Amino acid sequence: MNASATTMSDGPVLSIEGLTVRAKDRLLLDGISLDFPPHSLTAVVGPSGCGKTTFVRALNRMVELTPGLRVEGQVHYLGQNIYDPSVNPVLVRRRIGMVFQRPTVFPTSIFENAAFGLRIVHAEDEEVDRAVTEALQQAGLWDEVKDDLDRPALALSGGQQQRLCIARALAVRPRVILLDEPTSALDPAATQRVEATMLGLKERYVLILVTHNVGQAARVSDRIAVLQTGKLIEVGPTEDVLERPREKFTEQFITGRFE
Amino acid sequence: MVGDLAQSEPAGPEPLPPVLSPRSKGTGPRPSLGAIVRRAVPFVPAFVPLAIVVAIIVTLIIETGLTHLPGLLGSNFNPTPSTGAPSWGIMVFVVGSFLTAVPALLLSMVVGLGIAIASVTYLPRFVSRILDPFVDLLAGIPSVVYGIWGYLFVSTYFGNTLNPFLYDKLSWIPGFGGQTPPGSGLGIPISVFILTLMALPITTLLIRDALRTVPRDLWESGLALGATRWEVLRRVSIPYGRAGILSAAFLGFGRAFGETVAVAMVINIEPVYPHNVFQGTGTIASLMFALLDSAYGNYQFLAALCYMALALLAITLVVNVVGRWSISRLSATEIAGL
Repeated sequence: MNASATTMSDGPVLSIEGLTVRAKDRLLLDGISLDFPPHSLTAVVGPSGCGKTTFVRALNRMVELTPGLRVEGQVHYLGQNIYDPSVNPVLVRRRIGMVFQRPTVFPTSIFENAAFGLRIVHAEDEEVDRAVTEALQQAGLWDEVKDDLDRPALALSGGQQQRLCIARALAVRPRVILLDEPTSALDPAATQRVEATMLGLKERYVLILVTHNVGQAARVSDRIAVLQTGKLIEVGPTEDVLERPREKFTEQFITGRFE
Repeated sequence: MVGDLAQSEPAGPEPLPPVLSPRSKGTGPRPSLGAIVRRAVPFVPAFVPLAIVVAIIVTLIIETGLTHLPGLLGSNFNPTPSTGAPSWGIMVFVVGSFLTAVPALLLSMVVGLGIAIASVTYLPRFVSRILDPFVDLLAGIPSVVYGIWGYLFVSTYFGNTLNPFLYDKLSWIPGFGGQTPPGSGLGIPISVFILTLMALPITTLLIRDALRTVPRDLWESGLALGATRWEVLRRVSIPYGRAGILSAAFLGFGRAFGETVAVAMVINIEPVYPHNVFQGTGTIASLMFALLDSAYGNYQFLAALCYMALALLAITLVVNVVGRWSISRLSATEIAGL
């Protein structure tokens, strides 16, 4: 019996308690508490301006890059509060990766994009090769780019670029991937590929997907969390929330009466 | 009056003008000269820069009279020898120009990069808002002010402290040993210093703009991968802004290479190759300025100055063309990935 090992594998990877984010004159997030178990994909939905993006940005301390925002509450990553003064935000971001709304490839080759996070920790070349290959495979991009790894990433299509951004986040072997509306700049075909990639990834990672698209949440998520003006008003298995919403607001939102 | 106005009012909708423009053959009458001029007017301003360049080059060539000056491409410049024929070598000044402009450019690129990085990346917004305008202010200081400041004030420091120190520590490097630095402090080092200051606003402003064009989400993507600000700067921002940084280098070089008055005041003009980096020499621009008086009335001397002007122009032009070409190549590579 190894109690601690059991706890590590079964307990939540991320555990949020009373997460509150304040701007000067208003509350962006209001006391959110939520756990994220391993191998899960949680969709965070809500109308524009409800705090979805602020929410994911608070989970890897990106929110601190916006001047004037104050964070209260705790975010435990494997039991450790990432907002503890002793924690270096740079190290937090190596464990909790992020993919942005727009594909944000760097002006360098496909390979070096995927290798970015490994280069900054001065990984051995062999290790970089292996991790990049694996990450590109997991992101579902390997077959399309394996012969062109030295080509500039900017020559890829938008959907390929976004999957490269996912691969780049995966290459540093994080436990958690935050996806902030990753398909909002993509066409339907590219969106479908990225969604397929997300489905494949939830076997291995904790995925937290921000989306304003209820259909996307229905297609890929296990669980839906609904935000309304910074408050978490409902959370539950995807089917339950979509078919039997408890809150009036949730019902209105999923039936498209809010955008 | 009112009636007149009413009469001139068209009764119904006017017929549409012909679809084909009046210039097209076979439709309507030939346009009048006035119409042609009116049509041409908007295009004229675009040709003004070209016209200026052509005018300068042509007049300079005419003024040289295409005179044959013995030894023009040589290194011996002695227009009024006590005995024998004058000789007109301008290579000393070409070398002198590069010898001062290149180090000045390198220094101003390093310092400019430092200022731009601090302003864009590290300083709190309100601090950089206060400090940024001083760079523009620096750009607005007339060169003669830099010159007089260098001549009267900075030279003392170079003569008493910096040059002897460099001579002491670096004399093992070829070009730094030999003759002791002149006590006046005038010469190449102070020229490089003044030119660095003068190129600095250009390099700083352009590098700052280049770094500012880096999209915020690209910057954040680097940080989200666990990079520090310095690493994102080095691996993302600088590669992203490299075309702008390169253009900073070329424009900064142009500024340093062509500077006249300030250099003439501090370089301790001598038409000879310097014995070491602490001595005086001449740059093309400063020498032309300094010799204008003595050249008056001597057509050969004036022709020599025109040749120098053409040389300065040609070098600047070549640097410009190479700059534009490499910048466009960089930008194209970035987008199409060639």
